[in-house]
Amino acid sequence: MEAFLFFSCGALMLLGGVMMVLQRSAVVAALWLVFAFIAASGVFAALSAPFLAIMQVLVYAGAIMVLFLFVIMMLQGPVLEGERKRLALPMWPAVAIPPVAVLVLVGSWLSRRHAEALPVQPAGFGSPGQVADLLLGRYLLAFELISIVLLVAIIGALALGNRERKLPWS
Amino acid sequence: MAIVLESLAKIVFMFLLIMGMVPALIWAERKGAAYIQDRTGPNRASIGGVRLAGLVHPIADVLKLVFKEDIAPTHRHRALYALAPWLVMTVAVSTYAVIPFGDYLTIAGKRIPLVVADLQVGLLYVLAVASLGTYGIVLAGWAANNKFTFLGGIRATAQMISYEINMGLAVMGLMLIFGSLRITDIVAGQGGMLFGWLPMWGVVLQPLGFVLFITSVYAETNRNPFDLPEGESEIVAGYHLEYSSLKFALFFMAEYCHMVVGAAMISALYFGGYQVPWLPRPMLEKHAGLLLLIVLVATIAASLLFAVLFMRRVARERGKFGDARDREPKLGAGFWFLVAAAAAGALALRPWEIGPAGAGVFASLFQVGAFVGKVVFFAWLFIWVRWTLPRFRYDQLMRLGWKVMLPLGLANLVVTALVLAAVGSGK
Repeated sequence: MEAFLFFSCGALMLLGGVMMVLQRSAVVAALWLVFAFIAASGVFAALSAPFLAIMQVLVYAGAIMVLFLFVIMMLQGPVLEGERKRLALPMWPAVAIPPVAVLVLVGSWLSRRHAEALPVQPAGFGSPGQVADLLLGRYLLAFELISIVLLVAIIGALALGNRERKLPWS
Repeated sequence: MAIVLESLAKIVFMFLLIMGMVPALIWAERKGAAYIQDRTGPNRASIGGVRLAGLVHPIADVLKLVFKEDIAPTHRHRALYALAPWLVMTVAVSTYAVIPFGDYLTIAGKRIPLVVADLQVGLLYVLAVASLGTYGIVLAGWAANNKFTFLGGIRATAQMISYEINMGLAVMGLMLIFGSLRITDIVAGQGGMLFGWLPMWGVVLQPLGFVLFITSVYAETNRNPFDLPEGESEIVAGYHLEYSSLKFALFFMAEYCHMVVGAAMISALYFGGYQVPWLPRPMLEKHAGLLLLIVLVATIAASLLFAVLFMRRVARERGKFGDARDREPKLGAGFWFLVAAAAAGALALRPWEIGPAGAGVFASLFQVGAFVGKVVFFAWLFIWVRWTLPRFRYDQLMRLGWKVMLPLGLANLVVTALVLAAVGSGK
């Protein structure tokens, strides 16, 4: 079951990535990326990492991509000139669904062949407690350094974005 | 196979609970709004003269929405326009998978936990699903290709992103206290007593967290006072302006599903979920016969009261309308007499001699009843608040979220952590 989930979610993730690149509309591309993120969370779930799986959806699909979409939509109206030539709705599922089905089938076939490739993890593996132990114990320094990098990035973005306005420190 | 059937039964139960509450809530909203504004509210739709104080209206609504023409703007983005209502509805009903509606049910010696999916990270799952809810709304606003819907979608995105953070912070306090992200653990942890008499509910342990959480839930469900995304006076109807017929019905239903799920979350996290205060499970099982007797007698008394009220209407309104509506009081009185008779008949089965297996089932059902009761109350609270408070202005909404609630949430978290460290009971 885990192997089946792993391979089919992996296949769907690939599909999401490919579809994202092939889109002409930036909004639809962003949505395919969200699809790929959710499929990636399925891959994490199949690898017995529930915490990571949920975090993938919560952070990437739920927060970051919403902001991306927000910006794209502000900049671009719903119908671009180039998009008008694209497939109409009745064709759209007909084009999108067969590849999904094929990919799921390929996933199940792969999972039959490579079922033993997924190691069985000990109980409690990937639980929030274990992730926390690693992040705030063994990798504490790296974790804190990353948060400092992010803080610097935020301040940098503010400084660059607000060039015209006077900032308190400039 | 048994586990599949078991899960299916639980899913169906929760789905029916939510879907059954939607029309009831629509009715409660209309009637509640009417009484709060000193009106009578809807009371015209009837089936054969039975109006049920407006309860027939949701049926008329459904018929109208099903048979209405589905008008769609020409300049929409076709695929996304069709996808958005579906997405909104899916997200609205998928949260309930992790909410426990009861402790466990023992049937034929088999212990069935009364939750669809007991996830290790249930609390995070709720937050993740809630964060996906933004997509449906923002896509609806964008795909309809209308300035007003787009503004509604943009407002919804900004609002939901802002309040998600507060929701997460509020919930983290609970997580610290109960030392788990599993919602069943949190509900089970609320069964204890503080100082021997106060129920150890989340609201008692985290009063500030509760206020922050309920405010964020209201903002996440886009209900008044936070219904800026559909502010009629400014942007017509917001993100669902260009939807009609069943597509609109999906948005409408999703709003009420969100209310039910929000109410369920509030009662599960902060009001002990299925826990009955001062009546822990062993006591429920021990005194099952007595409790059953009390429930039955109360049912008889209440239905007799209703029947008498209907009888008085029969006497007062004899031939008042001169049509089918005159039948309603008689039918009502008959119905309540039947309920009273059924309860009396159940009394004749000597329920106080209930066996241990029956006592277990009764205790489970009693707890499910307690949970449903709490959910109904909080769903009503949504309506009550909507018709009591005015709408926020947009800058006020953002200021409240970022400058008031966020610091309060952080402070609550720090204080909780410090207290737990001092007491030494944190896990």
